[in-house]
Amino acid sequence: MSSRPIAVTASRTLTIAAWIAGIAVWAALPWLLGRGSVDILVFAGLYTIAGLGVSFLLGQCGIVSLAQSVFYGIGAYSTAYGTTVLGWPIPACMLAGIVVSGLVAMLVGTPVLRLSGYFLALATLALAIMGHVLFLEWDWLTGGTLGIGGIPHLSLFGFTLNTPFRFYYFIWPCAAVVLWLHYNLLRSRTGIALRAMRDAPSAAKVAGIRVESLRVRTFILSAVLGSFAGSLFAHYVSFVSIDSFGIDRAIGFLLIAVLGGARSISGTVVGALFVTAAPNLLSRLGEIHPLLFALLLIVAVIFLPSGFGGAFADLWRRLGGSLRPTVKDGTP
Amino acid sequence: MVLSLWIQAILSGVTNGFVYGLIGLGIAVVFRGARIINAMQGDFALLGGVVAYLLVHNLGWPLPAAFLAAMLSGAVCGMLVERLLIRPTARRQGTDDSYLLVTLGGAFAVSASVLLYFGRDSYVLPGIGGDQSVDVFNAAIRVHALALIVIGTLVVIALRWFYRGTRLGQAMLAASIDPDGAQTIGINVPLVRTLTFGLGGLVGGLAGMLVTPLINLHYEMGLLLTLKGFAAAVLGGLTSPFGAVFGGLVLGLVESLAIVTVSSGYKDVIAMTILILIMIVMPQGLFGRRGRMGG
Amino acid sequence: MTEAADALLKVRNISRHFGGLQVLRHVDFAVPERSITGLIGPNGAGKSTLFNIISGFLTPSEGDIDYAGVRITPLSIQQRSEMGLMRSFQTPQVFPDLTVWENLIVGCHKHGRSGMVEGLLALPVVWRERRAASEAAQRILEDFNLGAVSGRLARELPAGQQRIVELARAVIARPRLLCLDEPSSGLSADEVQDLMATIHRISKTGVTILLVSHDMELISVCERIHALCFGEIIANGTLAEIQAHPDVREAYLGIQ
Repeated sequence: MSSRPIAVTASRTLTIAAWIAGIAVWAALPWLLGRGSVDILVFAGLYTIAGLGVSFLLGQCGIVSLAQSVFYGIGAYSTAYGTTVLGWPIPACMLAGIVVSGLVAMLVGTPVLRLSGYFLALATLALAIMGHVLFLEWDWLTGGTLGIGGIPHLSLFGFTLNTPFRFYYFIWPCAAVVLWLHYNLLRSRTGIALRAMRDAPSAAKVAGIRVESLRVRTFILSAVLGSFAGSLFAHYVSFVSIDSFGIDRAIGFLLIAVLGGARSISGTVVGALFVTAAPNLLSRLGEIHPLLFALLLIVAVIFLPSGFGGAFADLWRRLGGSLRPTVKDGTP
Repeated sequence: MVLSLWIQAILSGVTNGFVYGLIGLGIAVVFRGARIINAMQGDFALLGGVVAYLLVHNLGWPLPAAFLAAMLSGAVCGMLVERLLIRPTARRQGTDDSYLLVTLGGAFAVSASVLLYFGRDSYVLPGIGGDQSVDVFNAAIRVHALALIVIGTLVVIALRWFYRGTRLGQAMLAASIDPDGAQTIGINVPLVRTLTFGLGGLVGGLAGMLVTPLINLHYEMGLLLTLKGFAAAVLGGLTSPFGAVFGGLVLGLVESLAIVTVSSGYKDVIAMTILILIMIVMPQGLFGRRGRMGG
Repeated sequence: MTEAADALLKVRNISRHFGGLQVLRHVDFAVPERSITGLIGPNGAGKSTLFNIISGFLTPSEGDIDYAGVRITPLSIQQRSEMGLMRSFQTPQVFPDLTVWENLIVGCHKHGRSGMVEGLLALPVVWRERRAASEAAQRILEDFNLGAVSGRLARELPAGQQRIVELARAVIARPRLLCLDEPSSGLSADEVQDLMATIHRISKTGVTILLVSHDMELISVCERIHALCFGEIIANGTLAEIQAHPDVREAYLGIQ
């Protein structure tokens, strides 16, 4: 490592300044924007969490998952059913959703994740379809097409989070925590094992990495994120129905991963912002956003293989900085 | 009579089986020629159905002409997909995932376009022999369904002849097994690849116009057909058109019998479970020996 | 054939067929602890298959592998690795998108215990493990002269250096038996000389080495060599003995 103390300090100060400015802008936005826009930003936060699950799985394990909509739904319905029908406290319901999602991910993942490539991706698509159908059929649990309404809002420090404005200041710190956790993970023993496994599975096995188990655990993590986001979603909108948990939702989450750059954690935010803002901006043209998303998926795969996040990271690296969560010289 | 219920189940199972088989056949054709799983195959069928519908309803074309147009539009679409989606991906180091994502994107694009133009309703296309059915032991099967089965069988036979007896067919096989070798003996590999997708599209369009009178046109039908067709193709070993149809039959019958015993709402769940089970337990299919399974 | 009582690795009567093709036939040999043992044979002799069986990538059709007194035939690759049985690959398997430094850190994986939860929460154990891994990596960097390239992505290195990185990564894991599969493939003559020196150095630290190669220069580092031909051991001895052995000469010259 070369030592250029002045340049290092300067770039460090700049980074800190940028962070402070960024947070200030973030905090100010709801005061400057209308309710509709803040609502979009809230969804961007929710989708950042769910999308990170897909993104992490794709970027670190190379697994294309279209099943995130199922876990999003499990989280939403668990908390909806638990609070409205069973009368359980919200945290218990959300936890139940997470546990169920984790179990499903483990049970389904263990056999299915041994597949690879096409088979695996199409298997997750099959799971998405199965989930959607089951949500429809099990209407005693989900309310079917009628959905479940009257889901209580979250309440924090005495504030009921029943407006976009309030939820905004809750969801983004949540998303930030989730992002920070993943950033930690990447720099840990498990994180580097994931990347090793992705790059050269045979060598990873020789290094003692239990590849199959790691894949399943990452899938479970992804499902937990989806479920968590789904539960928060239910408490935000207060009404859930199966329309929110179909294939287009699954495609949207995948698009977040592809657009944001699967190997970039912060890129997920960009992807999520895009996926939530675009349909709204285009709504006057009719239901055109599914087509746009599809075309974007194609374009992103062909021209932007590392997504916006990756392109940004490349640019940043060329300017001399480094965003890679590298495990360096014993420094934490 | 309970027997007629079972016979009805078998008849619909066979019919559906041929439907899945026809889609699976298209997947097998593309995989055989290009070693790529075409996630758009069901949407080629959707496109074929849409074209046929528009020609018949809006322009008043006779059914046979519309059918031909559907096949042609499928072929053109297939070739466009190869040029616009597959080739750019290949040029940029396409991995299995990239091809899958790109064809999935194409599938979603078709589905979204149909949604945009047609909305969420279902549309009915008239079939061969209109709505007439034939009675089989108190169970009924539509004339169109019989036509589908017959045509499907003919397609399998035609493909067999194509791959074994024609130069283009042989070239397709050669280009997929050993592209470099094929290039050196004068086969225009890129052109052959485009034609492979064209053939897949043709078969897809054909499948579409045969299928839509039975299941009605709907913007979401493509993806589900693709998955079921894929299941059929895998059962058949992924490279064999005959195997795909056979696999489709197995799938259709199992699905149909399961519906009779369980419930019709779970039809797709059952089919998807079968697909996943096949991939895990029998990825080489009932006939396949080697091949790049599992991606 | 010969079997030393203190052998670290005992290949017992290993046979392997693929469909109708018999690739290995009752292969039987032993690798003494702390030795450098070689395995040679013409292409198609079954060396890679045997290697894959020893390292756990393939199961034998018949026979067993004993390692450190334990029957490891049913054990997985990772389990064997944990017991100190590691291998390299014919094409250097480095982690291309990781830096050389990170490649070495992966090598320390077995020495850690933290899992996903600890990783997410950045618990102290993760920090401690990384510290220990960093110290080990620093030492290995110096031993193998990789200091200058430690920050480079592994895929940017020439093949010779990638091979060194791969070996360094194996050594950092403190192996007991290191199986090297055609380590000189793709290397220049100079690089092969470096490799031989490296192998000697590793052996001096007490690591047992089993080396597969068709490179006669490289194989000269071995104390004892077993010759494999058409799936059978046809000779064993020092390099001089092997080169003089009539069956070996026939196998090589007959084919060439």
